[in-house]
Amino acid sequence: MRLHARALALAASLVLPCAAIFEDDAYHIDYHHALAGLPKRDTTFFQQPFPGSKASLIYTLSQKQILAAVNPKDGAIVWRQSLSGPPGTGMLRSGEEQDTVISAAGNSIAAWSAADGRLVWENTMGGATAEDLELLEQEDGMANADSKDAVVLLSGSSPEVQRLDGKTGRAKWTYTDSSGDTPFQLSTSPTTIFYISLHTPMLGGSKIKVTSLSPITGKKLDQYTLSSEGEVQSREHILFTGANTAAPLLAWTDKLNKVLKVNIIGTKGVSTFAPPSNEPVQEIVLHASNRVTSLPHFLVEWQTATGHSADVFHVDLKKATIAKAYSLPVLAGKGTFTTTSSDANVYFTRVTPDEISVVSSSSHGILGRWPVKAQSSLAAAHPVHGVSEVVVKSGSASAVRSAILYSNGQFALIRNGELAWERPEFLADAVSAAWAELPEEETLAHELEVEGHSNIISAYIHRVKRHIRDLEYFPAWLQSIPNRLLGNLFGNSQDDTIGDIQRDTFGFHKLVVVATSSGRMAGLDVGSKGKAVWNIDLDQVAPDVAFTRPSLKTAHGYIEVKDRGFEGTLFINSTTGALISSKDIEAHEPSLSEAQRLIAFDLVDGELKGFLGAELTLDPVWTFTPPNGEKIIGFTPRPIKDPVASIGKVLGDRRVLYKYINPNLVLVTAALESTRTASFYLLDSSSGQLLHAISHHDVDVTRPIPSTISENWFSYSLTIDSAADSTSRGYQLVVAELFESAIPDDRGPLGASENSSTLQPSSAMGDVAMPYVLSQTYHIVEEISHMTVTQTKQGITTRELLVTLPSSNAIVGIPRSIIDPRRPVGRDPTALEASEGLTKYTPFIFIDPKWHLNHKYEVMGIEGVITSESGLESTSLVFAFGLDVFGTRVAPSFAFDVLGKGFNKIQMLLTVVALFVGVLFVAPLVRRKQINALWTI
Amino acid sequence: MRTSQYIIASLASAASAARFVLHIPNGPVVNPSTFPSSTHATLQSSGPPIVAHLTRSNTFNFYNVTPGSYYASVHCRDFAFEPLRIDVSLEETVEGSGEKKEMIRAWQTFVGNEWDNKGESKGEGGNGLVIEAKVMGGKSFFQEREGFSPLSFLKNPMILMALFSMVLIFGMPYLVENMDPETKAEFEEMQKKGVLGSATGSERPNPAQQLQNFDLAAWMAGKTTDSGPSSRGQSPNPASKKRT
Repeated sequence: MRLHARALALAASLVLPCAAIFEDDAYHIDYHHALAGLPKRDTTFFQQPFPGSKASLIYTLSQKQILAAVNPKDGAIVWRQSLSGPPGTGMLRSGEEQDTVISAAGNSIAAWSAADGRLVWENTMGGATAEDLELLEQEDGMANADSKDAVVLLSGSSPEVQRLDGKTGRAKWTYTDSSGDTPFQLSTSPTTIFYISLHTPMLGGSKIKVTSLSPITGKKLDQYTLSSEGEVQSREHILFTGANTAAPLLAWTDKLNKVLKVNIIGTKGVSTFAPPSNEPVQEIVLHASNRVTSLPHFLVEWQTATGHSADVFHVDLKKATIAKAYSLPVLAGKGTFTTTSSDANVYFTRVTPDEISVVSSSSHGILGRWPVKAQSSLAAAHPVHGVSEVVVKSGSASAVRSAILYSNGQFALIRNGELAWERPEFLADAVSAAWAELPEEETLAHELEVEGHSNIISAYIHRVKRHIRDLEYFPAWLQSIPNRLLGNLFGNSQDDTIGDIQRDTFGFHKLVVVATSSGRMAGLDVGSKGKAVWNIDLDQVAPDVAFTRPSLKTAHGYIEVKDRGFEGTLFINSTTGALISSKDIEAHEPSLSEAQRLIAFDLVDGELKGFLGAELTLDPVWTFTPPNGEKIIGFTPRPIKDPVASIGKVLGDRRVLYKYINPNLVLVTAALESTRTASFYLLDSSSGQLLHAISHHDVDVTRPIPSTISENWFSYSLTIDSAADSTSRGYQLVVAELFESAIPDDRGPLGASENSSTLQPSSAMGDVAMPYVLSQTYHIVEEISHMTVTQTKQGITTRELLVTLPSSNAIVGIPRSIIDPRRPVGRDPTALEASEGLTKYTPFIFIDPKWHLNHKYEVMGIEGVITSESGLESTSLVFAFGLDVFGTRVAPSFAFDVLGKGFNKIQMLLTVVALFVGVLFVAPLVRRKQINALWTI
Repeated sequence: MRTSQYIIASLASAASAARFVLHIPNGPVVNPSTFPSSTHATLQSSGPPIVAHLTRSNTFNFYNVTPGSYYASVHCRDFAFEPLRIDVSLEETVEGSGEKKEMIRAWQTFVGNEWDNKGESKGEGGNGLVIEAKVMGGKSFFQEREGFSPLSFLKNPMILMALFSMVLIFGMPYLVENMDPETKAEFEEMQKKGVLGSATGSERPNPAQQLQNFDLAAWMAGKTTDSGPSSRGQSPNPASKKRT
């Protein structure tokens, strides 16, 4: 076995270190979910990308402030942009016959080219925040038809309403409200702009104040107040402010949803409606068309605990009255309604888990009805909100497609009752992820454990029984052979098409369990393009806990879920997503003896503390406080599974530098903002001993300082602060390697001793074997937000540093030989050094596009990258999460233990056949010659 | 063209702090209109970088840039750009007048060098300055897979060596036989002293047969004393024994 490993190591060290992706492997070994986040109700719509376009795109501004255009045909992202501002606050509007969409997020109003996502104009509002944004739908001589003007409501020191030119984004006029009321929303009618604010006296609820402004001059025309103080206690009670409808509406309710009051903006009358009386209403939603040309009809959706129903109302503009036209019956379960307008007609589409039906706003007759086929991914989920496009021909709806957000976080398009595509948008909130083994491997490991713990005879019987049981799969395996052979020969290996999770020969199939900030967990199969195997809501599992940053830990067959605001631990089965009670777990857990207790450590009140045992008790064994008032901003321990193939580094002259290998290394990052210092402390987590300390000055500590540690080296990255008169600028990558001694063939204080302990390192107490640290700093062109190291089964393959570059939307694998701290500085390498593969030190590392793991994909918003070993020594599995989900396989020393796609199996077979034919021809000739030779002697 | 004029005009009219434009020129190889919309430019100095998105007119517009020295870079999926140093400063328009105006200066810069090591100037002026962002080249992400070709097979030094020795083995006897008697005698004389002849005695006069029986492996391993045919039974690589 050792020989085998050595041969592999030789093979690994012989090949060149730079391994890029092959073009025929790209898009096959990797997968990418380009996500946008959960779409919001009022910022998601179908829209033509340019006037006269036949097809339309779905535009959405998500909870994560991502503006995206989604192709309704296949669900692919056409373009997306990340906007500023706090999550869930952005606004997105578009007008008919426009080639732009206009967004407002934070203090920035921007128009984007609807077809390709390029910026048309941007207007930054200083310290003000955009509260509302509307487009003016009128012809008044001031606006031009091909770019409609926008009206924006800003909340700053005093609220302002601005009309922005649709072509340039410059303000045409500004109206300032100095009354001290809270700005709420804007609404427009063909002739007037209505500015709606909330006037809140000291006691009681809010009065709604409506100010009408002239769209041409921005002067105040009129002002009136609606006595809503009995109902409106907070902003959420105002349900709807009709934007750009033919009849702008203002609807509000009270705290218990007992009453619905509707006002036609511009008039003072308020109509009052009561919800269906049989059950308390949980939620009221108003749906109305946002086009000026549409009929002034609207739909009110009543959601109760057990079902939902709706009423349709008609507005009479001349009399300024609102009357109920008809009701849609109560259906059990949850559902939602969407609005579509075509010409003047308004259609409402009712979407429930089982059925989609379309009605016209003018009469209650159902125009079309499609049963929804059950989907496993949408099982037990209900529609939350959506948008629809309806085709109506001669009084009946011939086709409908609805893009629906389901309660399990899937954004799906249902075309005539059939699922066209779905996007797992809940994964955009991912905050942590962990690898889990497949069930088969888990059971095998368990069986082997059983055999290991019993006596020889019973273990043997157990083993024979297991093999007999395995025989039942033998016929199926035999049957699969011809298919597999053919598949292998003609290159279309079944790798890509494996549907269900099962173990493959190379161990590429693994599960990744992802937890999101919204309290959702999902299991993804990385072997089949990151498909979600299961998807659960933690709120249903633990109803009274609000999960915000769940942390995951993998154990045998289950996942431990912990959260800051949650005392206990949840155990989730890693293959099914089912909750496991803690009793079942303890049966599995091998009991640790007293001597095997471990030291756990964590950040407690700004200090790193080590505790005896797994629980954080009151009295720590050691405490680490950084000096000079520095604040610990993070710590990175050496990975638990980090095999080291060789304890030394063989130099060119065959001498050995011994690596400083300590499984308990922790790299602590501390920063001091006032002096712009970042310090790094290398600790031994079992004793709390400080092994090494480095300080960097003139560091921009407000930027991320990622770090990683593996084997006997660690690495971190910094941003140089420009405020200082530093001689250089940009970003730095520092790599340090630890050796036992600076002298080759020397093991330092450990040299003579048989055993060593990090707690009592040598005969003299307290004398710690300090590592000899070699480090080098390199300039890089981009900021690094996260870094990690590849992992392989035995650690023979050279490691690769994986860094996330947020500005290029890339994940890059930097080969270890490029960042070797032993690169000679200021001189060319000697022949011996060159034979080790060392090159002359250059202060700048050019990030080669060939190192990009993501090639043409653009991976946005990555928060973490995790790596895992595969069944092959050469290959490491990589999974990145954050906004996007990306996964691939990397082979830092090339795939030396598996045949790649470049190996032509047919050619090999043909060569064998040709050789065989050659032998058949040559054999008689040789035989004759031999006989002749015998006779001639 | 109208749009870019317009942008400059709009820049000139807005108030306070520096504004400038990074523009990607339309080159013979590079068509900036085909760039993905994720292309953006950043200005880094201290704290979060200032980001500008690619506009329809292939520009990046920066507004409200406070005085300072910035590292400007353009990030594009398909192309690499030259990094720039952009300095924004407040300067008196006329000396002693007290009226200050923004001045923007741009240079090429080199990563891994001192910040003061500036390259060629890329522009200098007041608000609304247009600086050209130069494309350095396309990014190629993929590695070529080396397919099988007979030519690359022939380029292998081992194969070349084998071919050469084959030519020697099969070609030499015929050459020798076609020689005129005098040179042939001379050659045989030489052979007796030389490497090839050393393995043979006088009982094998036929040079062709002798050459055909020549043990290349044994010869390459430095074997000189033994007679040719009997060496076949031995290990072709005696050096391998020493290693174990």
